[in-house]
Amino acid sequence: MSNYILECKDLTKTFGRVKAIDNVTLSIPQGCIVGLLGPNASGKTTLIKLCNELLTPTSGEIYIAGLKPGVETKKLVSYLPERTYLNDWMKVADIINFFSDFYADFNKEKAYDMLKRLNLNPGDRLKTMSKGTKEKIQLILVMSREARLYLLDEPIGGVDPAARDYILQTILGNYDQSATIIISTHLISDIETILEHVIFLKEGRVVLYKTVDEIREESGKSVDSLFREVFKC
Amino acid sequence: MPWEFRSDCPIYAQLIEKIEQKICSGVYPPGTKLPPVRDLAQEAAVNPNTMQRALARLEDVGLLYTHRTSGRFVTEDTDLIRQLKNRLVQEHIRDFLEKMRQLGFGREEILAAISRIMEESKDE
Amino acid sequence: MLGKLLKYEFKATARLFLPLYLALLAFALINRFISPFKVFEPSTALLDLQMLISLLSIFIYFALIVGVIAMTVIIMIRRFYTSLLGDEGYLMFTLPVKPWQHIVSKLITAMAWTTLSFLVTVGSIVIIAGEPGLAVQLKEFIVAFQEIFGVAGYYILPGYALAAMASNILMIYAAIALGHLFSKQKLIATFAMYCVLYIVSQLLIILIFVPFVLPFMRFLINPATPAPGQINSLLLLFLLPIVILGAGYFILTNMILKFKLNLE
Repeated sequence: MSNYILECKDLTKTFGRVKAIDNVTLSIPQGCIVGLLGPNASGKTTLIKLCNELLTPTSGEIYIAGLKPGVETKKLVSYLPERTYLNDWMKVADIINFFSDFYADFNKEKAYDMLKRLNLNPGDRLKTMSKGTKEKIQLILVMSREARLYLLDEPIGGVDPAARDYILQTILGNYDQSATIIISTHLISDIETILEHVIFLKEGRVVLYKTVDEIREESGKSVDSLFREVFKC
Repeated sequence: MPWEFRSDCPIYAQLIEKIEQKICSGVYPPGTKLPPVRDLAQEAAVNPNTMQRALARLEDVGLLYTHRTSGRFVTEDTDLIRQLKNRLVQEHIRDFLEKMRQLGFGREEILAAISRIMEESKDE
Repeated sequence: MLGKLLKYEFKATARLFLPLYLALLAFALINRFISPFKVFEPSTALLDLQMLISLLSIFIYFALIVGVIAMTVIIMIRRFYTSLLGDEGYLMFTLPVKPWQHIVSKLITAMAWTTLSFLVTVGSIVIIAGEPGLAVQLKEFIVAFQEIFGVAGYYILPGYALAAMASNILMIYAAIALGHLFSKQKLIATFAMYCVLYIVSQLLIILIFVPFVLPFMRFLINPATPAPGQINSLLLLFLLPIVILGAGYFILTNMILKFKLNLE
């Protein structure tokens, strides 16, 4: 078995004439939290969707735990998309049953525990909930799995600072150190301290891949300030 | 509440500083058991691997030790803690003196200011 | 996994169909008791209240029938299009499930509801008609059926109907999947693809029948009543292109979902 949980080899994805991902080669080890950083439209979401087989690569290859994306890798990967996919007609309890039916690694107790801490009732209908609450429920579903790789696309995108703290605490609190979490975001300062590695993505290319402390040691700057420098308009 | 970090130096180095402070000030008295890495990381809102690295450094210098099964403890070696205190005092006072010098204060002025301000704050 | 998919697919659709079925049957009953069809006798005044109620209840009844038919088609399309290729696809395609299992679960559910919609509609008509000799008539019908189709007809005719249904649903799925390959104007592309598939499949059916034209004509001209065996073999002959086409649509849809999926 490979030591890397995620490997991309010469990965390219084009939409029409636009190269969303441009010849990316990347290896991410097991047991770390990685920030996938880049401005809007730099290819973060595209890369994550390619790993989930929601997009088909134009060329190049992806391996997850040494396997090509498919049913076996989907058992290992827990994915939080940047949009809500919950069925409005379901109750919270229905969607929890759905997840525990399909994912062998889903921990129902954990999910109910997290719901309780948010004062959410399992009998509540998703229809009645705000967008922010739905996003929290989706995060609970995703973090209640005991997966090997978590792909979180903009988990702190449109939420207020208090919710952001809750989300980061939820991610950290459920993180098992043998798993890998990849978090895409452009809000770096909020998340910098929980990252170990960062990847800067610019126009579909990897322009930097280092640990947070390496960056701080070498440049004497936070990742956030380095980011502002690299992506200066 | 997440711990605060400066942006100009590595996070693990700042974690070492913070834990040293806690040992020094008695928040973690000699011989106490530290919370698990995971909980500490969550409290500080930092990456568990970074926390692990900081704790390992503190173990290397002897301020912490690991008991095979029961976890990680603060050293009971009070000499070591005294040395740590001395080091921190030196560091902070050197920093302070450097700043005062930059402001143009001389030796006597600094001493006078210190005793005056300490005198004043006694009443509070 | 297929079983679990089916369970959720039925759950997601039952809440839409069952109330509609219930309403249809309820209005069939209401119509039966106020017998609106008998109101249209010359003696009744035109603006009678009873007349109004009757008209209204007939209208609602027919609206419900149209509703059931429309719902069956719309839900069949929507369940495939939005739940696999819309936002919900982010959930469905990250489940540890193979694309063919998704297609089969959607297909089986759509077929079940189509059959049920048909049965409920027929049932509602039976309720309204309220013929007292229903059991006798049914028995006569079965006898007549057996005379024409023989015992084998019990299997061949429903089999034929199911295969035709499956093939038609799969054609819609294939059109949606083909439409998905276009990066813009997916809806228009889907409709165009449906037209193309329709024409191609009709042509194919005709082509397959060319070698059988002569015997078929002879069969039609033949003045004697055809034996059940003849009718059934004719049905089986019709079945051949339907099954081939259905399999083709299925393979095409599966290939697209497996190798060409691009949820944007």
